[in-house]
Amino acid sequence: MTVLTSGSALASAASAAPKPRRSLAAYWLIAPGVAWMVLFLLLPILMMVYVSFWTQTTFKVEPILTAKSWVAFFSSDTYVGALWTTIRIWLVVLTATLVVGYPAALFVGLMVRNKTTATALLVLCVIPFWTSFLIRVLAWRPMLGGQGAVNIILEKLHIISQPIEALLFTELSVVIGMTQIYCVFMVGPIAFMLGRIDPFVIEAAQDLGAGFWRIFRTIIFPMSLPGVVVGAIFVSVMVLGEFATAAALSGHKVNLIGNIIVTQVGSLKWAFAAVAGVVLTAVIAVIVAVLLRLVDLRQEL
Amino acid sequence: MRSAPILSDSSTGIPILSLEAVSKRYGSRIALDGITLDVADDSYVSLLGASGSGKTVLLRAIAGFEPLDGGTIALRGEPLSDRPAHRRNIGFVFQNFALFPHLTVQQNIAFGLENRAADRPSARLVAERVRAMVDLVGLSGLESRAVTAISGGQRQRVALARTLVAEPTLVLLDEPLGALDANLRARMCGELRRIRERLGVTFLHVTGSETEALAMGDEVVVLDAGRIAQIGAPDTVYGRPADAAVAKFLNCYNMFAGRPGPASFETEGARLPVRGMPEPRSGAVYAIRHDLIAVRPIDAAVEEAEARLTGDFLASEYSGPAVTSFFRLPSGTVVTVEDHLSHREPQLFEPGRAYGLVWRAADALVLPAREASRA
Repeated sequence: MTVLTSGSALASAASAAPKPRRSLAAYWLIAPGVAWMVLFLLLPILMMVYVSFWTQTTFKVEPILTAKSWVAFFSSDTYVGALWTTIRIWLVVLTATLVVGYPAALFVGLMVRNKTTATALLVLCVIPFWTSFLIRVLAWRPMLGGQGAVNIILEKLHIISQPIEALLFTELSVVIGMTQIYCVFMVGPIAFMLGRIDPFVIEAAQDLGAGFWRIFRTIIFPMSLPGVVVGAIFVSVMVLGEFATAAALSGHKVNLIGNIIVTQVGSLKWAFAAVAGVVLTAVIAVIVAVLLRLVDLRQEL
Repeated sequence: MRSAPILSDSSTGIPILSLEAVSKRYGSRIALDGITLDVADDSYVSLLGASGSGKTVLLRAIAGFEPLDGGTIALRGEPLSDRPAHRRNIGFVFQNFALFPHLTVQQNIAFGLENRAADRPSARLVAERVRAMVDLVGLSGLESRAVTAISGGQRQRVALARTLVAEPTLVLLDEPLGALDANLRARMCGELRRIRERLGVTFLHVTGSETEALAMGDEVVVLDAGRIAQIGAPDTVYGRPADAAVAKFLNCYNMFAGRPGPASFETEGARLPVRGMPEPRSGAVYAIRHDLIAVRPIDAAVEEAEARLTGDFLASEYSGPAVTSFFRLPSGTVVTVEDHLSHREPQLFEPGRAYGLVWRAADALVLPAREASRA
């Protein structure tokens, strides 16, 4: 009892003592970051929203507020179509990176129990990044073209008798290119989460009588979900803002919101470009918010 | 190879688990070297061994996590070789508990019943059995907690409940108390025995702690370097270790190397009388338990049935119920003497002074000298 009393006395003394004043110096640590983000992210975004309401004429844009650009954007089949194309390609690419990336992550993160080997395999995934992004995109042209590598190989194997023309300069080629380029961003986070699963936990599930698919469905997949969400956020943010892959591999046939922005800026239509930018930002924000809702990342990571 | 005595004395006569020449190697390292063992139904067997003795490998092999290199494992007389881990119905309690971190206490316990390959009970039955098990292990009120939000002792109970609710034929416990603090460990010891007796299921409990093994087991199996060094009741193992390795591992014997003679043992420059031991073969050690040695003044008389060595007092350690004193013999060997304070008044010794260390000759053992592979 004496121990208890003295213990609680100590506790109350501790709580009664004045809290140490948080040093102002701590805030100086984030000052450069905050300044940078305000100057080069927050202000430009606000400016973008502002400019989207400016008056656009053929040759100049004036700071006279109007909703004309917004009306023009949403009444144009080209722009609205680009919005839907963007969302469609995003969904397809997200699914494709998950389908291709998850098994790879499963292998690296779970089957390979040697940490050095797992790291080496992940580095292997990153090797394509040693070449520039544009080179990687353009390299798909000689792969997918009518006289490209894929067609030649398929013909030599007598699987096809004439080249598949649909491989290049179609939506398919854009999806193939994007899946290859962004897949690694899906593999990394998932492999990381899978690598953190205690092997004994899987053995415990096995010991309790569960077969492989049961264990996958009830233990492995739920525990890797935070990795899937983080990977999906990476891929989504990058694919939604894409324009180069679409331009290079579709022969300008597939127009994403990103491509619209590029052409509008190119022809000095700042107000239209700003509308497209605001729409794109809003779409990304909604998608990221929804993805974050799926898993409580703060708790899981 | 040593042949294992059969522990089984249950009514059915069929041991619940029988191992026959089980062996396992990793590269050139032999982890299990022809283990033959029968475990009786409805018993508590502790498997004692130092780290690296192969005790965890043996447990994992029985559970089906490690393939064997030789020998057979049979459960109720049925060989297990072709049965994967998830179809063996052997419970395994992991040292780190290995709970499912994304599930609640309730979901953890229900996991086996809901997800096992065969014979899944209805949801209502699952709920019923989980509730009964929660009551048995004392987790009432914590069912909907996350397993990351409960204490170490409670996690231990979840691990146990999760295994027991599936009604396994046999439960393997891999150092189940290792992750708990001393206080909790003592309490869980009693709990484990109580729960086991209530359910009548056989427990095979692996531990590196000799006190835990002696306290828990109806039967103690001592494993050394992948072989069974001794099987017996706790008091037999403690009082009559099979060889020097077991005695060393029990951590309660002074051992002297030397030469056995007729009814005596020549060691430390003295000829010590030996009573009631079979004539030892060559390569023997003389062993006397720490707590069976009396310390007397150097000039005190020695009786006929007593053995004596003299040593200089070095130091004492006080450990609550006992005082441990250390004496150095002329050869440099240190002798440990344990005095239980409830039996004797603590004696005060003068550092550096010589004392007579005396014990009854009949208390001493002469053991085969097979050394423990690892201290």
